Amino acid sequence: MSGETSSSVAHSEGEPSQGWRRFFENLRNSAREQAHIFAQSRMAVAGLVILIFYVVIALISPYIVPYGPYERIYTDAGGWAKLQPPSLAHPLGTTESAYDVLSQLLLGARIAMFVGLLGAFMVAIIGTTVGLVAGYYGGWVDEIVMRIVDVLYGLPFIPFVIVLVTVLGASVWNIILGISLLYWLSTARVVRSEVLTVRERPYVEAAEAAGASDFRIMAVHILPNVIPLAALYAAIAVGYSIVAQASIAFLGFGDPTIPSWGVMLQRAFVTQSFGTAWWWVFPPGLSITMVVTGAYLVGRGYEEVVNPQLQEK
Amino acid sequence: MKQANANFDFDDDAPLLEAEGLTVSYSTSEGELIAVDDVSFTVQEDEIFGLVGESGCGKSTVAQAVLGLLPTNGAVPSGSIRFRGIELTELEKRELDALRWENLALISQGAMNALNPVQRISTQIVEAIQAHRDVSTDEARERTAELFETVGLDPERMDDYPHQFSGGMKQRAYIAMSLALDPDLIIADEPTTALDVIVQDQILKRLKELRDELGISVIIISHDISVIAETCNRLGVMYSGKLMEYGNLKDIFENPYNPYTLGLQNAFPTLRGEQSDLISIPGSPPDIADLPEGCRFMERCPFATAECGGEHPPLESVGDDHASACYRHDIVDEMRREAGDRETWARLRSEVVATGGAGDE
Amino acid sequence: MVNKRYLARRFLLMVISIFTVATILFFLFRMVPGGPMSAIMSPRMTEAARQRVIENFGLNEPLWKQYLLYMWQLLHLNLGQSFYYGQTVKTLILDRFYNTMALMLTAFLISYTVGIYLGAQLGWIRGTSKERAGMLVVLLVRSTPVFWTGMIVLYVFAFKLNLFPLGGMRGVGAQYSGPVSKFLSVDFLYHLVLPVFTLCTYYTGLPLLLMRNNLLEVLSEDYIDTARAKGLTNRRILFRHAARNAVLPVVTAFAIAIGFAVGGQVLIETVFSWPGLGREMVKASLRSDYPVAQGAFLLLSTIVISMNFFADLAYTYLDPRVRLGGT
Repeated sequence: MSGETSSSVAHSEGEPSQGWRRFFENLRNSAREQAHIFAQSRMAVAGLVILIFYVVIALISPYIVPYGPYERIYTDAGGWAKLQPPSLAHPLGTTESAYDVLSQLLLGARIAMFVGLLGAFMVAIIGTTVGLVAGYYGGWVDEIVMRIVDVLYGLPFIPFVIVLVTVLGASVWNIILGISLLYWLSTARVVRSEVLTVRERPYVEAAEAAGASDFRIMAVHILPNVIPLAALYAAIAVGYSIVAQASIAFLGFGDPTIPSWGVMLQRAFVTQSFGTAWWWVFPPGLSITMVVTGAYLVGRGYEEVVNPQLQEK
Repeated sequence: MKQANANFDFDDDAPLLEAEGLTVSYSTSEGELIAVDDVSFTVQEDEIFGLVGESGCGKSTVAQAVLGLLPTNGAVPSGSIRFRGIELTELEKRELDALRWENLALISQGAMNALNPVQRISTQIVEAIQAHRDVSTDEARERTAELFETVGLDPERMDDYPHQFSGGMKQRAYIAMSLALDPDLIIADEPTTALDVIVQDQILKRLKELRDELGISVIIISHDISVIAETCNRLGVMYSGKLMEYGNLKDIFENPYNPYTLGLQNAFPTLRGEQSDLISIPGSPPDIADLPEGCRFMERCPFATAECGGEHPPLESVGDDHASACYRHDIVDEMRREAGDRETWARLRSEVVATGGAGDE
Repeated sequence: MVNKRYLARRFLLMVISIFTVATILFFLFRMVPGGPMSAIMSPRMTEAARQRVIENFGLNEPLWKQYLLYMWQLLHLNLGQSFYYGQTVKTLILDRFYNTMALMLTAFLISYTVGIYLGAQLGWIRGTSKERAGMLVVLLVRSTPVFWTGMIVLYVFAFKLNLFPLGGMRGVGAQYSGPVSKFLSVDFLYHLVLPVFTLCTYYTGLPLLLMRNNLLEVLSEDYIDTARAKGLTNRRILFRHAARNAVLPVVTAFAIAIGFAVGGQVLIETVFSWPGLGREMVKASLRSDYPVAQGAFLLLSTIVISMNFFADLAYTYLDPRVRLGGT
C-alpha cells in the first residue's frame, strides 16, 4: 500500500461528518446498484408484485370487506347460514359458524403481512448484527457466537414457539418473539462469512491503519457490503414467518379474536368441515402459498442475478 | 461397466491431429463470443506441439474443442478437427467416448482439482481402464501399479486419496492415469502450473521421456514460453483467439517474426537463467466481447502503424515450417533489435495511458 | 480410521447442546402462569403425592437448588407425571417417540433419496425449459404450508376417493403381538401412506434445491472434465463423480433441515391424528399438562441434536479429506 493512499484515507477518517457522508453515499450507491440488478430479474419483479398486492390488501381490507370477520350471517328463515357454498352474496361461501369467508380472508392478510414483514425485519437486524460482530472481531467472540448458533440449531422451531405461547400466552407478539429468537441463525452465518472476506479488502485495512474506530469500520465500510445478503435472507424470512404464524395458529395457539389464515384453517380442520367445504379451505391455503412464493421469488430472483454461478451461462 | 467401443476407419496417411479453420464460439448474455477464430495447425506422430499465449487467448478452448469438453454453451460453428482423418466435431457422444482416453488423453490444468477428491486414485485409474477394456478389477489394478512405477510413484500408495499426495505427486498420478491405455496423443493443459520449479522440471522431463520411450505425441498448452521452449518441437503462439505465429520451435525462437512472440520471450526468464531483465508487455488482451477492428495485438504493439488498423493480418509463410501474422514483416530486423529494449515497451505504456489506447490512430 | 479428535469435539458439543436446551426449558417453565408449582403439580394430586413432588423437585428450596435437583432428576430420566394420563412422562413419551420416528425416518429416507436424485437431474439439465418448469413446481410445493397440504391430501384421498384412512396409526381393534409386527403390519403401512406422502412434499424441497445448486458448482470442476475426457457415460459422470461431491453440502445442511423437519412433523401428526411426540406435545400444551409438554419438547430437541450429530458422522465418512485428516 502506498503512503499516499493511506494518508488520504486518514484525512477523510479524521472528520467524522465526512465518514458518515461516505457511509450514506456507500449505502445509496449500493442500493441503487442493487435496485438495478433487481430489476433485471423477472422472477424478482414478479415476486415483488405479489408481495405488494398482498400489502395493499392488508392496508385496505378493513374498508372494503362486506362483513365483519365474526359477523353472523343468517338465512332468510332466520337460522345460521352455515357452510354455504359460494354465491353472489358470499363469493367464497360461509363457515361452520356462519361467517363470511371472503371477509375473513381479506382481513387475514393484515396479520400475515404484519408478522411476515416484522419477522423479516427482526431476522435481518439480529442476524446482520450478530454476523457482523462475530466476523469482524473474530477470535473468541466469533467462537462463542458460533457455538451459540450451533446450540440454538438444536431447538426445533415450531415446538419452541409452542413452549413460548404455552408459558407466555397465545399472542402474535410471542410468535414474533420466537421468530426473532431462532430465525436469525442462517442470516448470521452467511453475513459472518461475507464479513470475513470483506474485512480483508484494502480499504478496510486502510481504515484500520488510519485508526478508525471498530464501530465506524463496521458501519461505514463493511455494513454496506453485507446489506444485499441480509436483504436476500430477509426476503425469504418474510415467507417463513408467515408460515410459522399460520402453523402455530393452526395448532390452536393463535389469538382466536384476530382473523388470520391459520385460524381459518384451524376452524375448518377441527370442525372436520374441510371434507366438504373446499371454499373455506382453499382460499387461505392458496393465499399463504402465494405470499410465500412471492417472497421466495424476490429472494431467489435476486440471488440468481447476484450470484453468477446460478445464472445460466 | 459398459465399455465405449466404436470401429473407426483411420486414415494412415493423415496427420495424427489436424485442426483446420477451427472456430469456437460461446453463446452468452452478451451475445455470441468467438473464443477461437480460424485456427489451423497440425500435430504429427512423435511430436510435442506447444500452444502458448496469455490466459484468455483461447489455447485451453482449443484443447476443450479437441476433446469435446466445451461447456454446454460452447460450439464449433466452423472448421474441423481430424484425428487420423476422423472428423471429431461430427462424432456422436459414444463414438467420441471410444476415442477419448483410448487414443486421446488429457492431462488437466492444475494438479489441484483434476482428480476427484472423494475417490481413491486407484479407483479413478481403474475406472478409466474399465471404461474401455473388458478387464477384471485385479488386472486393472496391476496395470495401475505398473503405471505408478512408470511415472516414478510408489505403487504402495495407489489406494491413497488425492489430498494425501503433494501437488507434484498428484500431477504424476494424473499422468499415470493418462498413460493407462497407451494413447496416441496426450493433451496437457498447463501441466505444471501451481508446481514449484524443481517439480515442474521433473514433470516436463518425464513427458519428454514418455514421447521417446512410448512414442506418445503430446500437445502442451502453457502461458509460460519457457515451458514450451524446454519441451516442444513445434509450436503455435496464440493471441486473443488467433494464431499469431506457428511452426518449428527452433525457427521461431531463433528468428521470431511476430512482435507478440518477441514480447512473450521478453516476459519470461530465458532458459539460460538470465532472470534479471524481464520486460512485460504493457496492457492486457482485448475483451473478446469487444474486439478491435484491426490486428488484435495492435493496441499493445510498439510497432503498430495505420495499416494494422484495417483487418487482422493473415498468417504468412516466412520460412519452410514457419508462418507469422503481421503486416510489418519487412521491418522484422528492426523489431527484433528494439524488442529487447525496455524503452520500446515503456514508450507504449505511456501512450496507452495518454490516449487511452491506440485505436484512434 | 475416523478423525478421533474431531469426533470427541463433536460429541461434546452434542452434550452441551442438550444440557443448554434443558436449562432454557427449566427457566422458561418457571414462568408459567401460576408459577413453578403448577408446572409440576396437577391440581388433582393427593396431598401426599404433592409433598413427594415438592421434595423431589425441591420446590421450597432456592432457585439454584431447584435447578440442580431438576438436572439430577433429568439424569435419571425422571420427568415427572402427566397430569392428564397419570402415567409417568417417561413411559408416555417413549411410546410416542417410536411412533414419531417410524413416520419421520420413513419420510426422511424417501425424500432425501428422491430429493438428491431429482436435484442431480435438474442440475444436469440446467438452462433448459424443462429445468425451469421443474424449479417452478419445486418452488410452489415448497411454499405450500405443510398442514394445508395435509388437509388437501386428506380431502382428495380420504374424503373424495375413499382410498386411505382419515388418520390414526392403526385400524379399529387392531392388535399386535410385539413392536415388529406393529410397525411391519399391513394395517400400519396403510395408515402410514398419506402422512409420509405429505411430509415428503415438505422435506424433499431442501435437499433437491441444495443438490441442484451444488451440482452446478461441481460441474465446473476440473475432475468433471477429467471424467468426461475418460469417455465415461453421462450417467456415470453424474452419479459417480458429480453427485458424490455435490451431496456433501446437502449432508451439512441437515442441521438446518432437521429443525424445520420436526416442525413439519408436529403439524402432520396433528393433521393425521398420528399418536406421536409432536401431537402429544400440542395436546399437552393445550391442556396445560406441563410435564408432558416439557418432556416431549426435550425429546424432540434431543432428536434434532442427535440426528445432527449423526449427519456430521455421515459427512466425515463421505469426505475422505475430513475422515483422514489433512488439508
